[in-house]
Amino acid sequence: MQYPQPISKLIEGFTKLPGIGPKTAARLAFYILDMNEDDVMDFAKALMNAKRELTYCSVCHHITDTDPCRICQDKDRDPSVICVVQDSKDVIAMEKMKEFGGKYHVLHGAISPVDGVGPEDIYVPDLIKRLQDETIQELIIATNPNIEGEATAMYISRLVKPTGMKVSRIAHGLPVGGDLEYADEVTLSKAIEGRRQL
Amino acid sequence: MHINELHLKDYRNYEDLHLFFENRINVIIGENAQGKTNMMEAIYVLGMARSHRTPRDKELIRWEQPFSRVEGQLTNRHGPAKMEVIFSKQGKKVKLNGLEKKRLTDYIGACTIVMFAPEDLALVKGSPQIRRRFLDMEMGQIYTVYLYYLSQYHKILKQRNQWLKDVAQNKTAKNEAFFEVMTDQLVEAGAEVIQKRFAFLQKLENWAQPIHENITQGTETLAIDYVPSAPVDASMSTDEIKTALKAEYVRLFEQEIRRATTVLGPHRDDLKFLVNGHDIQVYGSQGQQRTTALSVKLAEIELIYEKTGEYPILLLDDVLSELDDSRQTHLLDTIQGKVQTFVTTTNVGGIHHEMLEKATMFHVTGGSIDQTD
Ligand SMILES: Nc1ncnc2c1ncn2[C@@H]1O[C@H](COP(=O)(O)OP(=O)(O)OP(=O)(O)O)[C@@H](O)[C@H]1O
Ligand SMILES: [Mg+2]
Ligand SMILES: [Zn+2]
Repeated sequence: MQYPQPISKLIEGFTKLPGIGPKTAARLAFYILDMNEDDVMDFAKALMNAKRELTYCSVCHHITDTDPCRICQDKDRDPSVICVVQDSKDVIAMEKMKEFGGKYHVLHGAISPVDGVGPEDIYVPDLIKRLQDETIQELIIATNPNIEGEATAMYISRLVKPTGMKVSRIAHGLPVGGDLEYADEVTLSKAIEGRRQL
Repeated sequence: MHINELHLKDYRNYEDLHLFFENRINVIIGENAQGKTNMMEAIYVLGMARSHRTPRDKELIRWEQPFSRVEGQLTNRHGPAKMEVIFSKQGKKVKLNGLEKKRLTDYIGACTIVMFAPEDLALVKGSPQIRRRFLDMEMGQIYTVYLYYLSQYHKILKQRNQWLKDVAQNKTAKNEAFFEVMTDQLVEAGAEVIQKRFAFLQKLENWAQPIHENITQGTETLAIDYVPSAPVDASMSTDEIKTALKAEYVRLFEQEIRRATTVLGPHRDDLKFLVNGHDIQVYGSQGQQRTTALSVKLAEIELIYEKTGEYPILLLDDVLSELDDSRQTHLLDTIQGKVQTFVTTTNVGGIHHEMLEKATMFHVTGGSIDQTD
């Protein structure tokens, strides 16, 4: 379908967001056209400001509007324990639970050859460097409880263990909701393909 | 366990089909391309939430229609149950007693199925892939934890193979510490898969042996062996299998780097059927292969009974007339009065008269079915 250029630009913008297909993108775009101008203005500003004013903490790589971030600067938090997570949203989830009083290290992903992500492509080397600081004595690895998160945790622990540092693993990761869990499906689909070639 | 009622909506060539069954033998007769296999497939789908002949769910939706539904009313060990599978462009949904299940493993198992179709005759002679598929499908139905380890294994295998490929093409650094992590993960899941296959085959063999001996009037002794690609055997514990696998991966490291793929593990394992000590993939006659496939299927029925406390539903698509009178008699003895069975054929001529006397007959023409007496 041919949309006027300003709309197709907007649709294109939405499709870049995760989980949004062309249909949803079109629906959102048309919704915005129906909104009043002030609301659209506020929304656009919020988008720009989020991007302009937020950066990543140079110590822990969590999103922040100050550098170092508020967590890294907080004198009441225990600097000897670091919790390693995959994403900033994991930090936010952990902070909501108010159970953890140490500091964080955000990897920004997990090692996954299939996705072209090697150990050097996330903040693993940076973590190892950070651990040279003698105040850090304990590492809690809270990467996601799937194959990639597990591999990342095992890899980090392998690098760190020889230094004698205490390393523990907690599976935290948010459950992936939504569709039917077809974890076992991939495998069985392959099996079925095999049958076809008879 | 038996199905009392089946309702198909826009499934394959069935627009709207509503059938009632009794707990006995049901024979479905029809010319070619009328919908016999579709009907068998629908029953399979009801239990397994997927087709036995295609991985593409959308093929099951009647042409030009938005969705398809298979619904069945059955009686199992817990009493009456309603099962439902719905396919649409958005994917599929499964419901048990009206409640949607988010995980397939919470659905599969309520209605266990053993299907015997012409493809199964290739179990003995066909490629190792066919035998692994047989293991995975049959085991997955009764051991959900097997499915879990198997899917973990395949995910890790995919990562590991990608890494080996990337290293071969200089796309990634040869980080051996990380490779070792993936190997450890592969060994963890792989050893579970192997150990469970050993245990399953042991049970299957125990059931298949007397059945096979009976069908062959005591002239043949059947053995089923697992043929692993690693130096492991049935006497080993899961931990021992892990140790052996790990050592083998270490030993073959250079070879895996060179070949840029994972060279051993359960994805390379196979099965072997032996009659009187001889490998029948190599030496077996057509008849022996057919008998073996039948013995194995009948053994599965007993195995499911042993594991779940009730008999599965048996689907025989186009295979009955392939079996001679004595084999059919034997089959009848096994299922009589306990296993609800669905049989398809183009021609009742090939079916043993005793079987027909005990059966309810259905005629299928172009997507509609009539019950006849
Ligand atoms: N999605 C679909 N929508 C409509 N019709 C379909 C669909 N898929 C398959 N069919 C049709 O269903 C018909 C019956 O197929 P089926 O495999 O059940 O035949 P059969 O009775 O088992 O025949 P045979 O004796 O040759 O095995 C085929 O002619 C096919 O064109
Ligand atoms: Mg057919
Ligand atoms: Zn910080």
